[in-house]
Amino acid sequence: MKGKTWKGKSAFWAGLFAALALGGLGLYLLHPGGTRAALYIDGELYDTIDLAAVAAPYERTIQSEWGWNTIRVSHGAIQVVDADCPGHDCVQQGAISDGAIPIVCLPHRLVIEIEQDDE
Amino acid sequence: MSKTRKLVFMALLTALELTIWVIEGQIPAPIPVPGVKLGLASVITLTAMAALGRKEAGVILLARILLGTLFAGSPAAMLFSLAGGALSWAVMAALIGAFPEKLMWVVSVFGAIGHNAGQLLAALLVTGTPGILWYGPALLAAAIVTGVFTGLGAMYLTRALRAYTGRK
Repeated sequence: MKGKTWKGKSAFWAGLFAALALGGLGLYLLHPGGTRAALYIDGELYDTIDLAAVAAPYERTIQSEWGWNTIRVSHGAIQVVDADCPGHDCVQQGAISDGAIPIVCLPHRLVIEIEQDDE
Repeated sequence: MSKTRKLVFMALLTALELTIWVIEGQIPAPIPVPGVKLGLASVITLTAMAALGRKEAGVILLARILLGTLFAGSPAAMLFSLAGGALSWAVMAALIGAFPEKLMWVVSVFGAIGHNAGQLLAALLVTGTPGILWYGPALLAAAIVTGVFTGLGAMYLTRALRAYTGRK
């Protein structure tokens, strides 16, 4: 690096960051999908739902000591439709159907992930 | 810069950063990935670090987090702001001396990565779900993209403010 112009250094960092970003994106998209939704509250498994076995959509409310979230379960997808948290990030996220992004409701310590059904 | 001038300048930057942060929070996220946002407020943090110093930038950032929590946040969100802000500040403070002004965006990218890493670690501690670490690579990619833009913004702002701050 020594003696190089700032342009040379810029190119070096741009290349390194581009590679890292692409690598990160690739790794993220490689995350295995699945059909089983796992609900965690405060890090502990609360319930699992086999989304492939859901015929008709239904709603249910999950109550914990931190608050409640109403989830809608349908064939292959799950989402939070209402909650008594201030931010509503989990509601705005909409439905998830693959393992890429978990739904996280931080104030209620609720995490909904889609996992591989390998049992 | 006289003491009073500096204090006024810091107050101005704090107000700017707070305004940017509150307004950005009102804009729906362009990408449906929770936690990913442009982080425009960090333009001010980095500018303050370049124009005033590390300590001053830290004070402005802390003031913004506390005031932001009062205006538009929640105590739970403050924990994440603090975790992200602290790590981001530490990374940028360590690196800013090692890069020339034209490479300020590199410092910004590392700061953004630090910010997202801090938030992810805080989320890991709060939820106790290691599965959210899968989210790390996506946050890394997002930090690189947003860090470049906020870093360039900070560089131009630092240049534009030079006449006022008198700092070379």
